Amino acid sequence: MPALQIILSAVLAVLVLAGISMMSKVKTAVAGNLLSAFAMLCGIVGTLFFAGVVSVWTIYVSILIGALIGSLLAARVQMIQMPQTVALFNGLGGGASALVGLLSVHGETAFVRFTALLAVAVGMVTLVGSLVAAGKLHRVLPQKPVVWKAHALCTLLFLALTLAFVVAGAFVEGIGLTVCQVGAFVSASLFGLWFSLRVGGADMPITISLLNSLSGVAGSIAGMAIGDVFLVAVGGIVGASGLLLTQIMCRAMNRKLMSILTGGTMTPPAPQPPVIEENENEELIRRIMDLEKKIKELEAMVADLEARVKALDGQLNAAPAPAPVAAPAPAEEAPTAASVLSKAKDVIIVPGYGMALAQAQHQVRQLADKLESRGARVRFAIHPVAGRMPGHMNVLLAEADVDYEKLYEMDAINDDFKNADAVVVIGANDVLNPAARNAVGTPIYGMPVLNVDQAPEVIVCNFDLKPGYAGVENPIYSREKGVYLELGDAKETLMRLMAGIA
Amino acid sequence: MIHPLILVAVFIVSAVLGYFIIRTVPSLLHTPLMSGMNALSGVTIVGAIVATGVAFLAGDGFWAQFAGGLAIVLAAVNVFGGFGVTHRMLKMFDKKKK
Repeated sequence: MPALQIILSAVLAVLVLAGISMMSKVKTAVAGNLLSAFAMLCGIVGTLFFAGVVSVWTIYVSILIGALIGSLLAARVQMIQMPQTVALFNGLGGGASALVGLLSVHGETAFVRFTALLAVAVGMVTLVGSLVAAGKLHRVLPQKPVVWKAHALCTLLFLALTLAFVVAGAFVEGIGLTVCQVGAFVSASLFGLWFSLRVGGADMPITISLLNSLSGVAGSIAGMAIGDVFLVAVGGIVGASGLLLTQIMCRAMNRKLMSILTGGTMTPPAPQPPVIEENENEELIRRIMDLEKKIKELEAMVADLEARVKALDGQLNAAPAPAPVAAPAPAEEAPTAASVLSKAKDVIIVPGYGMALAQAQHQVRQLADKLESRGARVRFAIHPVAGRMPGHMNVLLAEADVDYEKLYEMDAINDDFKNADAVVVIGANDVLNPAARNAVGTPIYGMPVLNVDQAPEVIVCNFDLKPGYAGVENPIYSREKGVYLELGDAKETLMRLMAGIA
Repeated sequence: MIHPLILVAVFIVSAVLGYFIIRTVPSLLHTPLMSGMNALSGVTIVGAIVATGVAFLAGDGFWAQFAGGLAIVLAAVNVFGGFGVTHRMLKMFDKKKK
């Protein structure tokens, strides 16, 4: 029996890997995701047969309930809420692994007992940590790092206790297994709570990636406990993926994983800027979204008309001889943000978490459309840790229908800032703070940043000029020439900016 | 029962393979990748099914069966929700171009 099961598991695991590798291209990504889901479905059906539990009706009821809740959530959730949604789902998976560990702890061998208890521990850390992260992202918990008395000491203590219970339960004869079960369960939960509360908002991309990795590892360990190859393999893949993302995020912030977990280098962050009221009730939000949609349609129509007028203009201008088209422009008015953008032919837009907070991605796209309709080239520069999860900005801009080919990674666009006519910063601060290059000793020192400071003209649409999460002043703001500060809610400043572009 | 060493080996091999394949995913798609991985971590539903089935067939007490059922529900939310949001996001990226 196991031979067939192992072969099938291997085939399915390869299918999952194929699905993931298809996710490296936008064109094939949708199919890749479906392929992974299909492999999962086969794995579930296969397990029903191999474990000989086809007749257990409670399984189907449970799956149905979970599927219903999950599908509803997936269909309803707004893109803006994606980080906390991912964190929440992630936690549930960890919780399920912990329960599997609890159920399979009464094994014959030390290996089974060890892996079962370890699954309980890792699963609970994932569950509690993810719930706290989701709470922070959803703003029901404070964004700032919460530090309690003897925080680091307690964190270490809970970790040590967890390990002690796991090892004792597995290898020491005569110790009550139930005691170890409960002990590992409780101390792992406390560890998860302590370590995740300590993490601040800007470190969320790293934390979420790490928790994602842990949920995979928890599943894999649970798979070892019950001897299921498919579970072990897929859990391992997820664990590796999360770890890879964690690494990428850490490198992009020049932070050590350990220092984030223990809260080591973070200076007490500046008081978070009072962000825009966003806990309005849902009805209002929905109405606003409706209005936005209408505005979008109108904007599109206007853009269309403008394009047509321009085309006609072009035809008219083409006919007459080279009259002094380049009219003398003696009126040397002081340039404004709008006038700079009116003239710019090469514009780079730098979005940050502020754009997500203000939900200004649609206005950003309208601005880009407007500039493009005037013949400018518009590109987006995305810092790897902009936002609250890996790739956060890309998802928001994709939601606003920005063509993904205009989204550039930092390394691909960083040399172009000096040649750009204008840079528009929207709700971003630390990721373009040139102080990161030379302000030794600050939290952002050494972090690779976007070379916005090399651009001749920089338009900053930030809420205010307070230092960002890292608490380091941004010298760009006080630059004497070529900086235009448009402070306030990004939605409004962008509207004003667009209105001003002749 | 499959030998523990085989299980550990499977874990290592799949983790290494996964690591190198996932490296090819551009940062553009990191959010969908993460949420897809997140959905995959719900694979623990397989473990939940086995544990629940065993508890049911062995006639274990209510709480063991309840815990198993709960594990399945949680994992199913993870799987269906995770693949669902991933699908929605990916479709957004792959809109037809003008």
